[in-house]
Amino acid sequence: MKRITYAEIEEKLRSEAIAALPPIRCAVLRNIVVEPIEPWLRYMAYEIGFNATCVFGEYDNVFQEAVSTGQILTPDTDCVLVFLRLETLSWDLARNFSGLTGELISSEKARIENLISNVLSGIRRQTSAMILWHSFELPIYPAPEQTPVIESLNQILRQALAGAENAYYIDLNLALARIGAEAFYDLRYWHIGKAPYSREALREISVEILKHVRALKGKQRKCLVLDCDNTLWGGIVGEDGLAAIKLGKTYPGSAYYEFQQEILSLYNRGIMIALCSKNNEADVWEVFERHPDMLLRKEHIAAAQINWDNKITNLKQLAADLNIGLDSLVFADDSEFETGQVRQYLPEVDVIELPPGRAVEYREILARYPGFFNLTVTEEDKTRGAMYKAEANRKELQATSLNLEDYYKSLEMVLEIKIADSFSIPRIAQLTQKTNQFNLTTRRYSDAEIRRFAETDTSDVLYAVLKDRFGDSGIVGVCILKYEANQAIIDSFLLSCRVLGRGVEEAFLTHCLKRAKRRCTAAIGEYRRTAKNEQVKDFYSRRGFQTIDSTNEGDFYSANLEGRLPEPPRFFKSIESQVDL
Amino acid sequence: MKERVFQILSQIMGTPVQNIREDSSPDTIAEWDSLKHMRLVLALEEEFSVRFSDETIVGMLNVSDILKALSDSQPQLKSFAQP
Repeated sequence: MKRITYAEIEEKLRSEAIAALPPIRCAVLRNIVVEPIEPWLRYMAYEIGFNATCVFGEYDNVFQEAVSTGQILTPDTDCVLVFLRLETLSWDLARNFSGLTGELISSEKARIENLISNVLSGIRRQTSAMILWHSFELPIYPAPEQTPVIESLNQILRQALAGAENAYYIDLNLALARIGAEAFYDLRYWHIGKAPYSREALREISVEILKHVRALKGKQRKCLVLDCDNTLWGGIVGEDGLAAIKLGKTYPGSAYYEFQQEILSLYNRGIMIALCSKNNEADVWEVFERHPDMLLRKEHIAAAQINWDNKITNLKQLAADLNIGLDSLVFADDSEFETGQVRQYLPEVDVIELPPGRAVEYREILARYPGFFNLTVTEEDKTRGAMYKAEANRKELQATSLNLEDYYKSLEMVLEIKIADSFSIPRIAQLTQKTNQFNLTTRRYSDAEIRRFAETDTSDVLYAVLKDRFGDSGIVGVCILKYEANQAIIDSFLLSCRVLGRGVEEAFLTHCLKRAKRRCTAAIGEYRRTAKNEQVKDFYSRRGFQTIDSTNEGDFYSANLEGRLPEPPRFFKSIESQVDL
Repeated sequence: MKERVFQILSQIMGTPVQNIREDSSPDTIAEWDSLKHMRLVLALEEEFSVRFSDETIVGMLNVSDILKALSDSQPQLKSFAQP
């Protein structure tokens, strides 16, 4: 594909309807001229559906703008970009290193450490926006002993950023290494206008910035969909046979082996892996099961469409099977025909073209793709691939079940109900923050607030864990009870969308009511409407609660705990309560 | 070449191509400041696959200077024949 030129970008940015897109307001604090980064940032943001705007601080006015309010940073700022270049910050350390005594080096380091800390806390006092701070560049031709000093400054910067929330280190040395120093620096404009970085460098830096912005805005991709022949291995398994395909630790199979390792690394960071290939299905699985150098195993594959249909249909099917949008998919194929067709008919899908005859580059091409980047990898992320795989298995089972009840029974679901403890509190808080659909009151709580509810005698935090024959879904339900006299107020009741429609809510509610019955004679349920929780509007009335009030605040319901409580559904293999009832 | 230069000037400055003449300069085009000049140079270098020297860049004071700088760079350009 032809690469867009700088002039075309400027024109496109003017002509397209960008203003209507959601904004990303960038504030740039800098001690160099970096204005030419703006078209790249705006263009790359536009490509993922945002209208990025840049406000540039005064040249070399970083400290003042960070510590005094109302200059560049506002409460609306989404992203603060910091470019503090060593040449401007400390000419001595950057260019006069050989002329310095050890004492001078230490005092310069201390001054810079101090400045970093003051600028960082100054920014944080003004805004909670994401901070992206660019590293110091290592000298290309260093003076003796200079490199370790610059490295230690970068280490100081890394640590300072790690100690501040939502602040990230952008490693300019990576951008520099990727394109090479000659392409990275524009020495003419460094001298003419204090603008050190070339157009290419600013493009590479913008890619790094946008990776972070994309992740911040939740626009990362979730699933890598792969072709098989000439992608996962060299050759065509249906024609060449299992023994003749190229795959292994030595050339030429090593290109595919390394590519698979990179795919596996994505899997281990929580990216789902799917297959979409034109083959006989049995041929492909034979490679997965029998080829000694296959790094990818069947258990890594969340879903597969291996048939002779067109890939448009198959990609749509994969998205449906995995219960994700097409805009979560990335499609990688060596066939220009297939990638071209997907680009044309499914523009929401990101496409990675693997150029035929250049398999040795496949690993690099995949590693360079920016859409899978995550700001952090949680334990939950690491098991997500397996969870989605389990979900696909459940769908398969459902399709072959006689009826819903039969399906539920065959899942062999085990529900555990427990009282919050210090291990479960972070995930419980996360669920209150993230759950939108099955959430009766949508009250968002921090770890500390959940801990307080759990520790005080006048409230209880219960949670539900679900396992079935396909896997462990972890903590999927939360209920917060507040006790007032003989009433138990159900402050929060929510369920993860991963387990909706399996009767978990009924069983969980019954046990929460039993817990409430220990000390109360009535339970009060509440429904607070949001844009997303329509589906639980009638939850309490369906469970036999009586309507007692309906206000602007919400609908209130009451259940008498002295009579018989509703029985939980019978299709669970077991319901294990570890709560004193 | 002249047409392409006018076109790029118009794209970078955000001003209609009719407003651009050979004697156009930062004095006659309000948007043409030093930062726009930089973007213009980068865009021209990309379009014509040339690299201006620092002296040439600071010596480009109007459109005809740009045209002259480009034609002076033409000899090295033969291998990058433009369509």
